[in-house]
Amino acid sequence: MELAELSPALVQQAVGDGKLWRAASFPARAVTDILRYGAPVGSRIIYSPAAQRCMDIARQQIVAAESAGRSFASGTVFVAGELSGGKGRFRRSWYAPAGGLWLVTVLVNTLLPESAALYSLAAGVACCETVRHYGIAARIKWVNDILAGGRKLAGILVESMRGPRYGEEYILLGIGLNVNNCDFPPELTNQAGSMAQFMGGPLDLRQVGARLLADLAWNIGLLHFVEAKQLAGLGPVAGSMHPLLKSWRHLSDTLGRRVRFGFNAIANPQFAAQALDIDQTGALVMRLDDGSTITENSGEIVYE
Amino acid sequence: MQDDTYFEEILNKYRADPYDYIDILTAHTGLIRFSVNDNESVAGPSGEWHHIAGSLLYELERERNRKKVFSASNGVIASLEKHFEGKFVEAGEKLMTIRHPLKKREIIDSILRHVLSIFPAPERAKYFFCLDIQSKIEKYGQRAVSIKPGDELFTMSLMKRDTPIYYEGEPGIIHSVYFSSGDNIDQGTAMIGVCPQDKLSMIQKIIERVKAEWN
Repeated sequence: MELAELSPALVQQAVGDGKLWRAASFPARAVTDILRYGAPVGSRIIYSPAAQRCMDIARQQIVAAESAGRSFASGTVFVAGELSGGKGRFRRSWYAPAGGLWLVTVLVNTLLPESAALYSLAAGVACCETVRHYGIAARIKWVNDILAGGRKLAGILVESMRGPRYGEEYILLGIGLNVNNCDFPPELTNQAGSMAQFMGGPLDLRQVGARLLADLAWNIGLLHFVEAKQLAGLGPVAGSMHPLLKSWRHLSDTLGRRVRFGFNAIANPQFAAQALDIDQTGALVMRLDDGSTITENSGEIVYE
Repeated sequence: MQDDTYFEEILNKYRADPYDYIDILTAHTGLIRFSVNDNESVAGPSGEWHHIAGSLLYELERERNRKKVFSASNGVIASLEKHFEGKFVEAGEKLMTIRHPLKKREIIDSILRHVLSIFPAPERAKYFFCLDIQSKIEKYGQRAVSIKPGDELFTMSLMKRDTPIYYEGEPGIIHSVYFSSGDNIDQGTAMIGVCPQDKLSMIQKIIERVKAEWN
């Protein structure tokens, strides 16, 4: 099964397969509405056997489309068989050989700032759900790293850009998921893991990709659905938690743990604390050693 | 000459009244419960990370959701719209004014804001200079870095989403930087002040005057 065969039809099939268990948590009408909002995700998939970075391809394609006087289709996915210049935040290198799932989903941002702030969490929840779909006990480290057995299975990089001609804001959700790639550089051997290692054998990369995009479609759709409900005065009552944040909490690996926080927590940790909860904006609430609490909506953590 | 007169007027204003008057407005509609009185002293945030909230000013309740609003600076309640107590108010309603005593640094900043082109934070987030600007600042110093509209200036980081922020405003050099990388910056907070090259010497003169006059 080649990753090149990952198609919108396969994504739709995965969306259909997931309807039943989604209906266990939401009324049937809501499931239909959420999936309708999320439908653009994966409706166009562009595959490259090898690339330097999918983020760069996505940016070039957006610029090219707008420069030619065309709009760029929201939900377009760029997927590559392998990356030679994969990067995380702070230009940390991301090892992305053949066998993994390396993709960028481009979304035109039509959400209000309160909802748009949750894109990063939505990508994390989607990725975690996909891995758990295969029976792996994955959990999320704030903001959206996916861990299983203390090893990182997936990393997410979210960037945004303005279209050069129409000024449209595009959200670029970059997801790197270790699926069948089991060999890591020595410095990552004890930190990284792949789905195949947990499953005891290779997976159909095409199916994992379809499942991931279906889960992403659901969680992005959920952001739009809840926002529409709130604007219509039918949303969750004040004080109750956004369903996406409920999912994140349920999947969290972070809450209750000792962490070191920093804008760049690896190079420059700022303080140690205990992670207590996330607030309504997805920000991490922590208790410092002097008993006071601090809430951070950006930055990263490492576990102590 | 015209500039000199203008700045003499500004300096006189701060000599006569070295305070900032901060109006506290409601962020949204709701029911008001005040927690302060007229002439009461209030404190700003404290703690190493400025994470300990300042004095509680009021509570705003909307749809059973009670929001506590804390003072962002120290000072004294100069005027309080006590008649709003227990009432429902609209968004943007002025509730009180805090009289904040200005330090020398704040007076300089305040005066400079009359002449510099201020670039505010577009959203509450963390910010850092884009790599190109950061490396120029490190190499040559901020006042040697020129920017013009359309230049990529900052990366805004919110919930691990990085967004490039482009400069809009008068071309000039980065004269003042009001934030530190990694701080949470509120929407609308001044981040940098940009000075047109031809005003630089005049601004330096103002700074020296203020430093000489205020203890």
